[in-house]
Amino acid sequence: MQLNQNLDRIAEQYLLEDFSGIRPLLAELSAHLSHDQLAPLAASLDQLLAEPAAPAEAAAPAEAATMGQASQQARAEFEGALEALRRALSQSAAPAPSTGATSSSPAASSVLSQDPELVGDFLLEAREHLGSVEQGLLIIEKDPSHKESLHSVFRSFHTIKGLAGFLEFDRIQDVAHEVETILDMARNGQIVMGPALVDLALSGADFIQRETNRIESELHGRTEFVAAPVELLAHLRAAAQDPGAAAQDPGAAAQDPSAAAQDPSTAVPANIPAEAHAEVLAVPSAEEAAKLPEAVAVDAPARRAQTQESYSIRVDTAKLDYLLDMVGEMVIAESMVRLDPEIAASGNARLQRNLTQLRRVTEEVQKVAMATRLVPVSALFQRVNRLVRDTSRKAGKLAEVEFFGEETQLDKTIIEELTDPIMHMVRNSIDHGIEQPEQRVAAGKARAGKIQLKAYRQADHILIEIVDDGRGLNRERIRNKATERGLVPEGAVLTDSEIFQLIFEPGFSTAEKVTDLSGRGVGMDVVKKQITKLRGKIDIQSTPGVGTTFYLKLPLTLAIIEGLVVGVGRERFIVPIFSVQEMFRPAPGQISTVQGKAEMVMVRNTLLPVVRLEDALSVVGSHSASEDGLMIVAEIEGKRFVLMVDEFIGKQEVVIKSLGGSLKNTPGVAGGAILGDGRVGLILDLEAIYRDREPKEENSTETRKQSFCFSEQDLVTV
Amino acid sequence: MSTNISLPAAPPLASSLAAMPRGGKYLTFQVAEEEFGIQVLKVREIMGLQEITAVPHTPHYVKGVINLRGKVIPVVDLRLKFGLPETEYTQRTCIIVTEIVSTEGNMLIGAVVDGVSEVLNLAEADIEDTPDFGREVNTRGLLGMAKSKGKVKILLDIDEVMTATELQNLGSLVN
Repeated sequence: MQLNQNLDRIAEQYLLEDFSGIRPLLAELSAHLSHDQLAPLAASLDQLLAEPAAPAEAAAPAEAATMGQASQQARAEFEGALEALRRALSQSAAPAPSTGATSSSPAASSVLSQDPELVGDFLLEAREHLGSVEQGLLIIEKDPSHKESLHSVFRSFHTIKGLAGFLEFDRIQDVAHEVETILDMARNGQIVMGPALVDLALSGADFIQRETNRIESELHGRTEFVAAPVELLAHLRAAAQDPGAAAQDPGAAAQDPSAAAQDPSTAVPANIPAEAHAEVLAVPSAEEAAKLPEAVAVDAPARRAQTQESYSIRVDTAKLDYLLDMVGEMVIAESMVRLDPEIAASGNARLQRNLTQLRRVTEEVQKVAMATRLVPVSALFQRVNRLVRDTSRKAGKLAEVEFFGEETQLDKTIIEELTDPIMHMVRNSIDHGIEQPEQRVAAGKARAGKIQLKAYRQADHILIEIVDDGRGLNRERIRNKATERGLVPEGAVLTDSEIFQLIFEPGFSTAEKVTDLSGRGVGMDVVKKQITKLRGKIDIQSTPGVGTTFYLKLPLTLAIIEGLVVGVGRERFIVPIFSVQEMFRPAPGQISTVQGKAEMVMVRNTLLPVVRLEDALSVVGSHSASEDGLMIVAEIEGKRFVLMVDEFIGKQEVVIKSLGGSLKNTPGVAGGAILGDGRVGLILDLEAIYRDREPKEENSTETRKQSFCFSEQDLVTV
Repeated sequence: MSTNISLPAAPPLASSLAAMPRGGKYLTFQVAEEEFGIQVLKVREIMGLQEITAVPHTPHYVKGVINLRGKVIPVVDLRLKFGLPETEYTQRTCIIVTEIVSTEGNMLIGAVVDGVSEVLNLAEADIEDTPDFGREVNTRGLLGMAKSKGKVKILLDIDEVMTATELQNLGSLVN
């Protein structure tokens, strides 16, 4: 361990170009290692010390080039020696006899030979770093001299490199190393991180991201292919060797975003004379002075993020789930004690007081435990930042993004599931909503479009708004398209909101041409499906020429739902309340029978099919006459039906639990929940119950009945 | 007791089974007339019978789910699983919560048995390979047979018993 630390320090000194500082460290190492092991390192160090430190000091450009090359060679030797030493150390430290396998085919076999736990930790840490790298690079793009971001991005790549080296993920290590070299030159003021270099660094980060994904799937036994980063490494090395060329006038690249994005290789053109170095070197200081107030402003959130980080720890989700289970049990046990008839009858005031106190504490503990799963949406928003940058470039448009309420908290699972839909909507906003700069100017708007993401809490829900100031949705075109596809009858009167909802229909796209970004008609229906899956709702508001806003309404957490506890015979079931519209006891004659079989009930002038829960789940009910049952009007994906149960027991917030193992996919059952008395209640999957209703029936009646109920539906909407 | 069981051991059937160390501690319990044993390491806990919530559309041997301190776990009636007639649950009936290794990872499953007997320490020499009962009896769920205090215990491979769907004919062992 000690030796590894020493090596790290050597690497650091080396990157800081403090070659003379390495010597004492080497001497320290020699106490622990044999001469043979250290010899190559010492030799290349001597060579490095013999070279002039900075190639820019050389007078003539030609001379600078040759000198640079020589020192490059010495550097490569030094790096190679250092790496070899590091590897030798880590192998001698590793207890497993995995040396033979790893050296033969590094990329493929290393994952399997490494300790999966270590690899898992690496993936976690690498992803965390990649997140901050992206954030940092985007700040650098706006302000190339932002020292703090340069340092933090450098450190992140350095850490990734170190970890990858230890676990022998050579590709990651190589890429991280090259990016690190560029960043190091940037933070030493040798080059300026222009857009081309930021692009390069970002694609480096992207590659590492892909590679970590690959490693993860390999860890789970799946194989995935990620092409070797040959081209990327070549670009990175070219940029590192010829920093002057890459650090061309940052302004030029910014004005022509498409050119830079289309082919990063064009951004690394031929040599620029040595005089340019001096100029480039002078730029940051001048810029720094000019941008001082802005730089301070950018600093503030970064610093806040850092302090937040230091107060959080990583916890295994299995542990959290266990904690939640236990807290749930505690609440049940507490209420059992509190409601015990003997205790209630005792009339002991002190006991009652203590019980009240206990109740308050358990409630608080439950609230805190539930909150542990919540994380701020800022991570999600951060990804949008990157997306807006890339997408607007590709589309040749200008777009800015603004965030509000980044600190709003949401269940981690929801945030993960929400990423794709939000990315898709933002991509759509840029591609369809935001106009070309010229068009915008002609319409009297700012050249750059504006996309706003807002998150805030409203009672038990989180609202997320995606606002753009583009051209708005085209009512007529959506309508025509819908009529053309037979989704809407000709001449029907539709409200704006109804028209806008049409874009969520499968295969619906009004884009006149299919672009790389959107217009293939896959997407908005998937977005809607995903949001519905999260028990959320989506709504649109749009004004022609002014912009479009998407409203997402989501539950705080997926772990808890509010449910109606109903009874059928001896069994109890939980009906998720978000799909329940109303409940009633039918009056005599309200229920009619179709063909002596299927029951229908008239609810507010609409005939709805009746599904008896006892039949749907084949349990023994207690009522045979429909009039004695309780009717629950449920809505599933726009279709309404009536669920008939024996009795209504109560309303309760329940924690959803998996039935586990082979019972997980039981049709009609979405999961289990612990009821107030400690028993398990089954949460109903109304969609499956409606879909699979009365399977005994012949197919012909089934279809006839279905078409009947759909025609009812049409009557309602038109 | 079946006469089959007292037959001398047949030559080893599955080499993989023979390779596994089978000696160790076993929890023994009764189902119908027979004594069974499962490795103690597989047992999480033993609990008295509690209210079981039935789950629709499941095989008849799945009695339902119970609340194990905040976790919902399925419960399987071993009598029904082995194709034996159902009986009334008694004071002695209990649920053995086992930890099962399956393709989907570890999970907890409760097993309803007629009664728990004791924990036996069995040496490798006490355990004999399962005799070949012919085609009618699927011996996949069996680890072997153990003789202890003059009685034969059937050692179960509980992972296999809980995950396999076709084990009905194991019951014919018992009768």
